[in-house]
Amino acid sequence: MDRCFLELRIDGEEAYQTFQRVIENVNVIMATYEDPQLGDVQVYPDKGTVAFSAGLHGWAFTLTNFAKMYASRFKVDESKMMERLWGENFFDTATRKWTTKNTGSATCKRGFVQFCYEPIKQIINICMNDQKDKLWAMLGKLKITMKSHEKELMGKALMKRVMQTWLPASDALLEMMIFHLPSPSKAQKYRVDNLYEGPLDDVYANAIRNCDPEGPLMLYVSKMIPASDKGRFFAFGRVFSGKVSTGLKVRIMGPNYVPGEKGDFVKSVQRTVIWMGKKQETVEDVPCGNTVAMVGLDQSISKTATLTNEKEVDAHPIRAMKFSVSPVVRVAVQCKVASDLPKLVEGLKRLAKSDPMVVCYMDESGEHIVSGAGELHLEICLKDLQEDFMGGAEIIKSDPVVPFRETVLERSCRTVMSKSPNKHNRLYMEARPLEEGLSEAIDEGRIGPSDDPKVRSKTLADEFGWDKDLAKKIWCFGPETTGPNMLVDMCKGVQYLNEIKDDVVTGFQVASEEGALADENMRGICFELCDVVLHADAIHRGGGQIIATARRVLYASQLTAKPRLVEPVYLVEIQAPEQALGGIYNALNQRRGHVFEEMQRPGTPLYNIKAYLPVIESFGFSSTLRAATSGQAFPQCVFDHWDMMPSDPLVPGSQAAGYVANIRKRKGLKEQMTPLSEYEDRL
Amino acid sequence: MDLELNFEISRTAEFILSRGFSRVALQFPDDLLKHSTKVVTCLRNKLGSGNKVGLFVMADTTFGSCCVDEVGASHINADCVIHYGHTCLSPTSTLPAFCVFGKASISVSRCIEKLSSYVGTNGKPIVVLYGLEYAHAISQIKGALVEAMPNAEVELIFSDVMCSIINPLEDHGKSDGLVGCLAAATGTRYSLGGLTWDLPEGRRMENYLLLWIGPENSAFSNVVLTFNGSEIVRYDATEDRLVTDVSQQKRILKRRYYLVERAKDANMVGILVGTLGVAGYLHMIHQMKELIMLAGKKAYTLVMGRPNPAKLANFPECDVFIYVSCAQTALLDSKEFLAPVITPFEAMLAFSSGSQWTGTYVMEFRDLINSSQLEVRKRPEEARFSFLKGGYVEDFEPQENEGEDNDRALALANATEKALQLRDRGPDSLVKGIAKSGAEFFVTRSYHGLETHANSSMPEPYLIGRSGKASGYEDERSEPETL
Repeated sequence: MDRCFLELRIDGEEAYQTFQRVIENVNVIMATYEDPQLGDVQVYPDKGTVAFSAGLHGWAFTLTNFAKMYASRFKVDESKMMERLWGENFFDTATRKWTTKNTGSATCKRGFVQFCYEPIKQIINICMNDQKDKLWAMLGKLKITMKSHEKELMGKALMKRVMQTWLPASDALLEMMIFHLPSPSKAQKYRVDNLYEGPLDDVYANAIRNCDPEGPLMLYVSKMIPASDKGRFFAFGRVFSGKVSTGLKVRIMGPNYVPGEKGDFVKSVQRTVIWMGKKQETVEDVPCGNTVAMVGLDQSISKTATLTNEKEVDAHPIRAMKFSVSPVVRVAVQCKVASDLPKLVEGLKRLAKSDPMVVCYMDESGEHIVSGAGELHLEICLKDLQEDFMGGAEIIKSDPVVPFRETVLERSCRTVMSKSPNKHNRLYMEARPLEEGLSEAIDEGRIGPSDDPKVRSKTLADEFGWDKDLAKKIWCFGPETTGPNMLVDMCKGVQYLNEIKDDVVTGFQVASEEGALADENMRGICFELCDVVLHADAIHRGGGQIIATARRVLYASQLTAKPRLVEPVYLVEIQAPEQALGGIYNALNQRRGHVFEEMQRPGTPLYNIKAYLPVIESFGFSSTLRAATSGQAFPQCVFDHWDMMPSDPLVPGSQAAGYVANIRKRKGLKEQMTPLSEYEDRL
Repeated sequence: MDLELNFEISRTAEFILSRGFSRVALQFPDDLLKHSTKVVTCLRNKLGSGNKVGLFVMADTTFGSCCVDEVGASHINADCVIHYGHTCLSPTSTLPAFCVFGKASISVSRCIEKLSSYVGTNGKPIVVLYGLEYAHAISQIKGALVEAMPNAEVELIFSDVMCSIINPLEDHGKSDGLVGCLAAATGTRYSLGGLTWDLPEGRRMENYLLLWIGPENSAFSNVVLTFNGSEIVRYDATEDRLVTDVSQQKRILKRRYYLVERAKDANMVGILVGTLGVAGYLHMIHQMKELIMLAGKKAYTLVMGRPNPAKLANFPECDVFIYVSCAQTALLDSKEFLAPVITPFEAMLAFSSGSQWTGTYVMEFRDLINSSQLEVRKRPEEARFSFLKGGYVEDFEPQENEGEDNDRALALANATEKALQLRDRGPDSLVKGIAKSGAEFFVTRSYHGLETHANSSMPEPYLIGRSGKASGYEDERSEPETL
C-alpha cells in the first residue's frame, strides 16, 4: 500500500478499483483449491478476511480496525459499519447520508475511500512534510501516543513509526488468525483426512480428529531450524494429538517410511521449546494444537518426519509435504583444501537437513553434487553451506549442470540381437517410445509397479490403447523399478524364459539408469523382448551370461530407434510493462525459449507473459532479461516438463551431439559414444 | 636379445646353487612365456650338467601374474620359485622366491635431459621412484642426474630396490609394515611396491615432487593413490616424454571414494579371494568377515581366480565385492561390473562406522592388519547419511550380542517378530524388496528353480521307471545304434 501513497500517488477511487481487482484475482486462484471440507475459502474485505498492508513499512489494517473506530461515531453496529466500508456504499460529507450509488456530487465518496484511504493518506502526507503540529493534533484525536524520542524522527522514518503505532501489522495479522483461522480442534476434524496416511478409523486418526491431548502422540516436523550453536538444529513442527514432553522417547518416521518395515528410529527429546518470535521458551511439555521445537532429534531427521510414541509401532506417518518445484539444477562442489573433505561431507549433511528442497548426493565419478530448484536457490544453498555449515572453509563449485534424459523417437529400425559372452544365448529386442502421457502417468504414480495388474492393464488399454494381453506382460519399470521406462515380454512359447527373467530385469535396471548416449537416465522408452535363444544347459544361461547381454541388447535397441536427448524445461512467468515486451521476446528467443501466453492484466499497463525456457539456457537469464528491459522485467522460473530435443545426437556437430560430448567429458567417459557394433551381434 | 643378461641367468643359478634347491619352479607371465624354453636351456647349462636340479615352467597363473604363485609351485613340490617379469614383490607365505625384473631399455642421456630441464623449473625436493624393470639403469641415471643438476641445493632422494629375494614371512604379525613408515633414527623410511627410501626427519611426502620413471601401469596408479597429496611427474621411457598431467589418475581416487559410499549402502558383501600367496591373506579375509558382520551385513566368501564381469554377475545378490589381493591387482574398476569391487582398505572405511576418509590411502593389506585393530565400537548416535540416496538411512542392526543372558528368550521373540512382518505386496507386483541375505534375495526372485504345480492337487499316477544302465536301458535294447 505504501506505493499507492508515496510513488503512484493514485487517488482513492483508483486505489479501490485496483484492490478490488487484486482480491478478485486472489479469489480466482483460491477457487481452484476449493475443498468442500474447508468451506468457503474466498476472501472478503467486509468480513475482515483481507488485510491491507505495507509490508515494507510494517503496517497493516483490516476493515475491522476502522469499523470499530467509526461505529461509535455513527452510532451503528460494527458489522454494519464493516459493510459500509467496502463495496458500493457511498457517503456524502455535505449531506451526511449513505447511498448505494455515487450521487455525483463532489463531496460524495465511497465509504472505503472516505473513511480508510483518505485518513491514511492525510497522515502520511503530514508526516512526509514534517507538519508536526498538525500531526500531534491528529494523533491526539486518534488516541495515539508516541514516545518522546520517536517524536524527533523526520520524514519517512517518522511516517513509518507513526503508521506502525497506529496500524501495527502484527495486530491485523493476529486478529485475522484469531477470528478467521479455525482452531486446531476444529480444523483437525476435517484435516485428518488429508493428513493421515493410515486408515482413518484407527486410534491415531481418531486422536488427530479430536485433537485429543490424552491420545497417542502424533507430531509432524516440518522444518529443521538451525540453532545458535553451530551444527545443531531444532526440529520444528505441530503436535496433532497427545503431548510431547522433555525426555520423552519418540519414534521417528521419515518421509519415505513404509509402515511395518524398518527405517524408523527411536530417540529421546532432550528439550521442548516454544518459539516466541525471536525468543525461545523452554517448557515442560507441549500438548496438541500447538507448534513446538525440539532439541535432540536433529541427527535422525533429514528434512521432515512424523513422531509418535516409542511403543506405537503401528502408527502410520503423516503425509509428507509436496513441493510444486523439483530440483533440476545441480552443481558439483569440492573443497579447495583436500583435507577439508570431512567438513564438506558434514556440511552437505546439514545442508540437506536445513533445506527441504535441496538434495545432496554423490555421482558416479565421486563428485559431491548439490541439486536445487534453480540458479538462485543453489547460490543461497552454497552460501549457507560454506558459511554456516562448513565454518567458512573454501569450496570450489562447478558450473551449473542440468540433468538430461535419453529417449527414442520411433520404433527400432530392425530387431537387434546380442549374444552372451559364451555365444550360446541370444536376446532379440526392439525399442519404441512410450505413448504420449504415459511417462507422466508413471511419474505421477498413476501407473506403477505396485499396481494391481488388472487395474494397470485396464488403464493402459483404456487410456493408452495398449493390447490387454500385452499390458499383462510388463516385466518391470525402470530405473529404480519405478521409472518411466518399461520392459515388456513379447516372446511366444520360449523355453526357460522364466529362468532368465530376473537377469534381464537386472540388466534393464542398469541400462535404464545409464543410457547408451551419455549415461543419463532413460525416459519414455518401452523395450520389447522379441525372442530369445537359450542354451539348454542351465549353467550356461546363468546371470553371468545374461545380465551383461541384456544390457548390450537394450543399448543396441535404443541406438537403432533414433535416440534423442530430453531436457528439462522451465515455465517462466514474467510481468512487465508493454514497452519491455520487445526486450523480453528477444531475450527468450536467444535462449530457445518461446512465449505461449501473453495477457494484459486488466486495468494495468502490465503484461503477464508465460513462456517455456530450457533449463540449460536459463543460467544468467534474469540478468540478461534485466539488461534487455532496463530492469523492468523479472522472471519467475519453475520446472514444468521434459521436452525432447529435436536434433539427432548421433549426427556429429548437432546441438544434441554437443551436449552429449559435454556430459561424457564431465563424467570421464570416452568422448566418442560407443558404436552400435559394440552392442549388436550378427548371426 | 641377450637372454643371459636380460633374464639374469647367472645370478639365478647362483641363487639356486647357493641355497641348494633341487626342485625349482620358473613362473612366467603370458608375455614372456615364449622365451621360457630358451631360459630353461640357458639355466640348465649354467647349473652344470652334473647337477640334478629339476626346473619346471609355470604359466597361466590363477591370479595376477605379478604375485608368486605358491599353490602352483606346491603342485610340483618345488622348494623355490623364480619369478620373471613385472612383480609386486609381495611377501610369500611358504616358499622363498627370486624375482627377475627384466631389463627394459632406457636411454639414460635422454631421460636425464628431460628430467633435469623439468627439475630446474621446479624448486621442490625430489623423490625418484621407478618401475622395477628400470632398476638396472637407475644407478647410471642417479649419477648423471646429480651431475646434470645445475644447482646442488635441490634435495634428491633415490629409492632403492629392497631385495629381489623374497623369503617367506614366519610371522606377519611381527613384520613392521612394509608400506608406511618406520621411525628410523635418521628420519622416516617409506617403502612401496618393492622400493624403499628415507626422508629426513620432519619432512613429509607432501613436500616432495615425485618423479616416476616407467609406464602408466598398476604400479604407477598405486603410487598416485598412496601419495595423492604429492605432485607427481611421470617420465615415459618408451615414448621419451614427461607427463605432468595425472588428472586421470586423480580421477581414480574420486571414483574410489564413490565406491566406498556405494559400499556403505550394501547389504550383502562378497569377499573375493584374489590371492593364495600373499602372506596374511587368510588373516585379512577373517578380519573382513568380522568387520562385515559387525556392520550388520552378510558376507560370502568366493574363490574364482581372476574376477571378470561375467563371473561376478553370477552373484547378483552381492551389492559389493571386496577383492583381497596384492596391491597391484587390487584396483578393479570397470563399468562392466554390476557391483563395485573394492579393496580391503576401502572396506574398512565403508564398514567401520564413524570412520572418515582423510585422504590417506593404503593399498597393501599387510599394513592394514598392523594399523587397525578392530576396536569395540558402540552404536553410533547418528543415523547414517547416504550420499547415494541423498538422505538418512538406518543400517540393518548388527546382531545384538551385548544383551544379557536373560534377554535370550526375548531375542528369539524379537527375531521372529522381525521375520514375520506383514508383506502386503502381491506376488505379481514388480517391486523387489531389499534383501538382507542370499536366501532372502532368492525369495524375491521370480524364478526359484523347480516349478511346483500347486494347483493340481490330484495325485499323479505312478509310473514304472527305466531299469538298466545309462549306456543302454533295458527298454532301449531294440535300437542300440541310433546315434
